[in-house]
Amino acid sequence: MSSQKLMQRMNLQQGRPFANGYSGRRVDTVMGTRTESKTQVRKSASPNFVSTNGTRVGRPASPSRDRLIYVLTCLVGHHVEVHVKNGSIISGIFHATNADEDFEIVLKMAQVIKDGSVKERKSDHDSIKKPQPMVIPARELVQVLAKDVSLGDEFTPGQSCENQKDLMIDSVISHSHHLETERELAPWMPDEDDPECPELENIFDGTFDRKWDQFETNEALFGVKSTFNEELYTTKLERGPQMRDLEKLALKIAREIEGEETQDLHLAEERGFSYHDDFDLDEESRYSAVRREVIGSGLRENENSDMEAYGSGIFAGSLGLVTSESCSDSLSKKNGNEAQASCNETQASSTSSSVVEEAFLHTLADKDLGLSSVDANSELKSDCIAQSSSLDDEIRLDDNQIKDQGGKSRRMAIQDSQTSDDVNMSIKLEEVIISAPLYDPSSSSQGNIITESSDSPVRGKLPAASESVDPPIRQVSSTSYSEYAHAELNRPFSSPSTSCGSLSSEKSTLNPNAKEFKLNPNAKSFTPSSSVRLHAAVPDGSFYQASNVNAVQHMHGLPLGVGVAPSFSHQPVFYNPQAAQIQSPQAYIHPNGPVYGQQMIVGQHPQFYYVQSYPPEMPHKGRKF
Amino acid sequence: MEGGNGEELAVGCVLSLRTTLGDEIEGQIIAYDRPSNILVIQEGSSKAGPRRNIRLLKANYIQDFTYLRKAEDPIDPNKCYIDLAGLQAREEASLRQAEIEAERIGVGVTSEAQSIFDALSKTLPVHWDKTIIVVMNEVRVSSPYLPENVTGGTPAANDRVKKVLDFERKRLQARGPG
Repeated sequence: MSSQKLMQRMNLQQGRPFANGYSGRRVDTVMGTRTESKTQVRKSASPNFVSTNGTRVGRPASPSRDRLIYVLTCLVGHHVEVHVKNGSIISGIFHATNADEDFEIVLKMAQVIKDGSVKERKSDHDSIKKPQPMVIPARELVQVLAKDVSLGDEFTPGQSCENQKDLMIDSVISHSHHLETERELAPWMPDEDDPECPELENIFDGTFDRKWDQFETNEALFGVKSTFNEELYTTKLERGPQMRDLEKLALKIAREIEGEETQDLHLAEERGFSYHDDFDLDEESRYSAVRREVIGSGLRENENSDMEAYGSGIFAGSLGLVTSESCSDSLSKKNGNEAQASCNETQASSTSSSVVEEAFLHTLADKDLGLSSVDANSELKSDCIAQSSSLDDEIRLDDNQIKDQGGKSRRMAIQDSQTSDDVNMSIKLEEVIISAPLYDPSSSSQGNIITESSDSPVRGKLPAASESVDPPIRQVSSTSYSEYAHAELNRPFSSPSTSCGSLSSEKSTLNPNAKEFKLNPNAKSFTPSSSVRLHAAVPDGSFYQASNVNAVQHMHGLPLGVGVAPSFSHQPVFYNPQAAQIQSPQAYIHPNGPVYGQQMIVGQHPQFYYVQSYPPEMPHKGRKF
Repeated sequence: MEGGNGEELAVGCVLSLRTTLGDEIEGQIIAYDRPSNILVIQEGSSKAGPRRNIRLLKANYIQDFTYLRKAEDPIDPNKCYIDLAGLQAREEASLRQAEIEAERIGVGVTSEAQSIFDALSKTLPVHWDKTIIVVMNEVRVSSPYLPENVTGGTPAANDRVKKVLDFERKRLQARGPG
């Protein structure tokens, strides 16, 4: 690279031929005055000077000077020591030099650390001066030392930047700059060879000495009386003639358990089973990654408990559907009359649902699909978990049987599901639902835990769900939801959200009489001329549109987005923190404000509230959230 | 050493030299600027990797030198990039760091006082108020920094500072003059 290029580049970068980090603004004044006030000492160019590239070049473009400037530039911000003529050493942060002239050094936060001019020893009362900027004139300069400089020519610019950012090591962070006067470190030697201190190397060589009692020894040595009673911490062992048999039995059981095959990665490793499928599990996925349930693959590493909950919830949700639709039809046919209605239902539903589950575990091996439907169905979770608990109990128990009955019940279930559109839809929905990461029979233990946890809140509700009164409602809403689903979303699996939403209507406070939402693309956009109060007659539970202006504007911007998004999250999404207070299914009536009533709520989807345009003259009655 | 042999001061040469101030240096020439008579030498760095110790030496302070060998140009001129933004950032960071450190140093205090301050600062939040060490914003320790000079603060804090001060003093004495 020619010297010209280097010069140009440096000029371009720097803007001026000052080898400092800035384009010279701040220091300019300093430098300017300094250079003017100084007499310049110049060394005349020696005629013998031969530059590396063999040509003699004039001073401004000399490659050697360029190199010098380059090195100095690399030093900016670096901690340096400057030795001066009188022997003093000044330490500071390199800030600038006047590369045009004679390279005097400008340091910031500089201090004289060794004063060459002071002859006598430093006494105790020496004081340390505050660091300040210093300029070392060229004629005083002897040398400049900089340690551990990276000259930047080894890496690409981006990399060198990274390298220069020092890693934040602990000592940097804790600022342990104050070095203590180092002690002379000597290796530890025991004082004498104490017979009571066994050789550390041999400590594990000795056999297990059952006769040694730590408490006795402690008491003998130090007079410490112990109050330790082993039985406080463990079951009392009956040491008697049965001991041996019990021991044998215990060992046998232990061996059995430890020899069990497991799908759990960690357990498998402990027990020494080489994990069946993947050997390309790296350390991270083995030991530290969050393990998620994977559909359709043999790898059931570790079900994310949420997923599990979703799975079981959704599963149960679908079960609920199936229960309502086909229960009375196919399943009662199949199973005849069981003792209790609920029992009938759960049995039936468990059968059919597991059937469908099975079917779709095969068909929908697409993990993404399942996961996305899980996402879609996440809102199903809390509702559907309602139904899941007792159903899952049954499922658990009947698992194996169900699988056997699979083909038969499936056929029946599906046939019956085709009897009505709604049922059809719901079956479809449930298929989708079930395809979500679910229920792995082999890991039923985890599923059990989850369902058990949801047991209590659910039990009370389940009987409600099983009442046949509800099906009509559900059918109605599922119709509407299915339509909505088709209208709104391309993904076929969006419908589960709505269908399960219908389930939620039993237990949640959703408005059962809500009309179906139809997106009106021609809706006038709402612009609040004055602060208009937004009413959300909260169908409750789900989505409260804050009635302050800000929220309105926000809402308005994305009507569709708002409309669609909440449907995927069952959790009530509150934009207004006070919305939580409003739980009644009736229109919220502000005492001062106009009563909008039900008719104002057009196209209300039970799951969310879509704000349509407001006449501008609606006054804001001042309640600010 | 004015007017030195151009060849010997060419880039890449490894020299061993002695300065008039008594330093002995061995390193490789990165650059030599004749007009300013500054020789830029690189010496091996204590840290591994591409970092080096750089020395800018005024050539007129070279007492004598020995030409050891010729080696390659330590810098590749084609790859010399300067990251101005990075440099500025580094400078700012260094300045900030230096300022923080400077805060810790008392102005016009004895080195003994500084040692005590340092020792206290390991476990207690301390800062200087002229020549008084202020601990936890409450307790003040003035010269000569003996337990008697501890004033202020709640009795508990006061006691604590006294104890720590005592302990640190003993420790410093046991260490002896560093």
